[in-house]
Amino acid sequence: MTYEKREFIADLAVIGSGLAGMAASIFALKRGISTAQAGNTGALAYTTGYLDLLGDAGTGAAEHLGDPWAGIRELQKSQPNHPLARVPENDIHEAFTEFTSFISECGIAYGAPGKVNLKALTPAGTTKPTFSVPATMQPGVDALASQARCVIIDFKGLRGFSGRQVVANLKDRWPGLTTERVSFPDMPMGEIYPEVMARALEVPGTREKLADAIKSVRGDAQVIGLPAILGMHNPDLVMTELSRLLGCPVFEIPTMPPSVPGIRLREMFEQVFPKKGLTLVPQQKVRSVEFDTDSVQLVLADNHGPIIIHAKAVILATGRFLSGGLEAEQTGIVEPLVNLPVAQPTSRDSWYSMEYMGRDGHAIHQCGIRVDDAFRPLDKDGKVVDPRLFAAGVILAHQDWIRGRCGAGVAISSAYRAVQGAEQIILQKNN
Amino acid sequence: MSEAKTPTINFKQKAMELLPEGASFDACLTCGLCSSGCPASGLENMDPRKFIRMAMLGMDEELSTTPWVWTCTQCKRCQHVCPMNIDISQLVFLARGNWPKDKKPSGIVRSCELTRSTDSTSAMGLQPDDFVFVVNDVLEEVRETQPQFKDMVAPIDKKGAHFFVNQNSREPMSEPDEMVPLWKIFHLVGADWTYSSKGWAAENFCMFSGDEAAWYEVIKTRVDATNELGCAVWLNTECGHSYYTMWNAINRFGMEANFKIESLVTYYAQWIREGKLPVNSDWNTKNIKFTVQDPCQIVRKAYGDSIADDLRFVTKKLVGEENFIDMQPNRSANYCCGGGGGFLQAGMTDQRRAYGKRKFDQIMATQADYVLTPCHNCHSQMEDIGHFYGGQYQVVHFWTLICLSLGILGENERTYLGPDLANLGL
Ligand code: SF4
Ligand code: SF4
Repeated sequence: MTYEKREFIADLAVIGSGLAGMAASIFALKRGISTAQAGNTGALAYTTGYLDLLGDAGTGAAEHLGDPWAGIRELQKSQPNHPLARVPENDIHEAFTEFTSFISECGIAYGAPGKVNLKALTPAGTTKPTFSVPATMQPGVDALASQARCVIIDFKGLRGFSGRQVVANLKDRWPGLTTERVSFPDMPMGEIYPEVMARALEVPGTREKLADAIKSVRGDAQVIGLPAILGMHNPDLVMTELSRLLGCPVFEIPTMPPSVPGIRLREMFEQVFPKKGLTLVPQQKVRSVEFDTDSVQLVLADNHGPIIIHAKAVILATGRFLSGGLEAEQTGIVEPLVNLPVAQPTSRDSWYSMEYMGRDGHAIHQCGIRVDDAFRPLDKDGKVVDPRLFAAGVILAHQDWIRGRCGAGVAISSAYRAVQGAEQIILQKNN
Repeated sequence: MSEAKTPTINFKQKAMELLPEGASFDACLTCGLCSSGCPASGLENMDPRKFIRMAMLGMDEELSTTPWVWTCTQCKRCQHVCPMNIDISQLVFLARGNWPKDKKPSGIVRSCELTRSTDSTSAMGLQPDDFVFVVNDVLEEVRETQPQFKDMVAPIDKKGAHFFVNQNSREPMSEPDEMVPLWKIFHLVGADWTYSSKGWAAENFCMFSGDEAAWYEVIKTRVDATNELGCAVWLNTECGHSYYTMWNAINRFGMEANFKIESLVTYYAQWIREGKLPVNSDWNTKNIKFTVQDPCQIVRKAYGDSIADDLRFVTKKLVGEENFIDMQPNRSANYCCGGGGGFLQAGMTDQRRAYGKRKFDQIMATQADYVLTPCHNCHSQMEDIGHFYGGQYQVVHFWTLICLSLGILGENERTYLGPDLANLGL
């Protein structure tokens, strides 16, 4: 018995299924570029759902950044190689607008990006600066700002989210905040997961039972906060229905991973992209990439056998260490797929600075692929590796997205630029 | 039960041998996505992440004896959502095989034994002669009572037929009229097909019992039977695990198979596209809503999303685009129904229904009146949890709906239709 080799032909191939890869596919679809996307399940499912642009410009200011645009101008001066410093502001704005309107149209409404950062709630009971939040989380931002009387509901058997902790840390800034614990309807087993609760809330009967349970403890709260469990596929509907049943706004706070907002996004992309004509091979790692004169070839395999994708341009969005875009070897850090040179500290000794929580962060968190302004990877001598190859997302060098709170900002902005560049190449080839 | 002791497996070492490079347990981030997405989480106080953690800690004795391995349906959803691509089901298979036979769930063991007891490879022990008799008997009756099908055939052991068609034993054994819609479809499209008196049956619980040698033996009988008849395609009918056990075994054991292994679903879609099966949804004037259950064994574990797309194409043609509501999650990300992996035969009813609660919620969220699925195990499990949790939906085979749509579904072929459709087109 032989396996049939499956071959796909597309203009653009996107490697990676994280935020940058998904963003690249969105921008490509919007431009009518025929696209194939492949890559292991990205870290997408670990996201909180918040889309950060830039929360810390590295100026050492104690306060988080209120104005991300001012922060980007700061980066342009102090860290001109930072990916966000290399994308025109208009393009960043356009990229976020395209991205959030796409996912909103697909059923997970997000707020339109504005001029300032929002103060969003975290499961630790702190706030963080972020740029765009899901509609299911916006009432929490508003409630904090307006100091509404609010009760945070948590659940027996649910780990990774504690109402007591949220309230303990926020109480000083939000006196009207209280918490109550209820049992989730029809879930007798010990540990329960947000994912399971979210799916159960897609069932109208479960929403009614939950609303009844909450009613008995809500007191005089004007707004009700829950861990992020408001549905998986129809979060906006689940929120609206629960609000209706309770007669007041409800909102979600992200939980510790594995969290619902990330799984929502991943499942949504996996369903929507193929419907829109994109060839998606979601769970498989690309094994090799070959740059032939006529086409770029991606080689991979799924359960059913080998797959080859032929494309005219490629965007590498394979992430950093977690998703295998970069690997740490004895001799240093490598990019295993295309074997691109990796900008990195000169020796292993200097990966981490002495102070773990030091202000300047660790050199290792700045490593990655060097690119030109069109986001084309560069070789050792600073020359473009191949005009058909682009890179996007946190695989890029000269940014520490965790400290900078700019993961989505880097992913979405660089994907936007990479698609612009790839489009030029494809247009040339098609003429 | 005897006192046979369960040997202890060194899971960590076995995992190193089994799992491909880069997907070893060492790579586990303990993120919990697997457990969060696994319907067996919490049963027997175990979940996939915990299983891995315990393996890493060398808690081999607990893992070698935990009955949880019989509640994991080996559906591979954990691997599907794992960022490191770690496959827990392989270790579960290993653990199952390691249990002394008399401690394994007797229903699975018995089904495997029955499968090996005759040349039929039928898990219900139906003899080749009896199968041939039932087929001919039913055929004769249809030819007499349904004049439109007076020339219909159901060949047995026809050399050189294009399709070698397998058959789940449940039909010839307990509901023989359910074979008829399938024959009608073959008749209509002019398929060149045959049953075989040897190796005709679909089920294979030997794989689920963890008995590799028995699994091989059953598949060998089927492969030999197909090779002997010289058929080009071994056609899996509406039964998930029979496809997977055959397809996987041929690769795993490097067997010589001079034919292709395909699923009937692919052909339904193809025949509809080609106009050979002119189905439509005109009959669905009441806009009855349908959803589809993707069997793990042919979707996530084998073909991937392409066959899931075929299922949706066929369904939409049959019931009308606007009357199809997808389950969430779906296709390769779908939940196992909880009837797979031998769970239906394992006698662990409470656990099986707890597992199936996820499926039940999924179905209820669609608010569909009917669930279509090309899998017998999914079918039985979804019916059972529907009754148990109080769902109002019906579960139907594709062949039923195809013949209903074509106006050729006979009176005795309607067991699974609800009252709303029971008399339609008679
Ligand atoms: S999903 Fe994968 S990485 Fe995460 S805990 Fe499970 S096995 Fe480990
Ligand atoms: S194979 Fe399925 S049932 Fe078993 S651990 Fe993985 S997800 Fe759970």
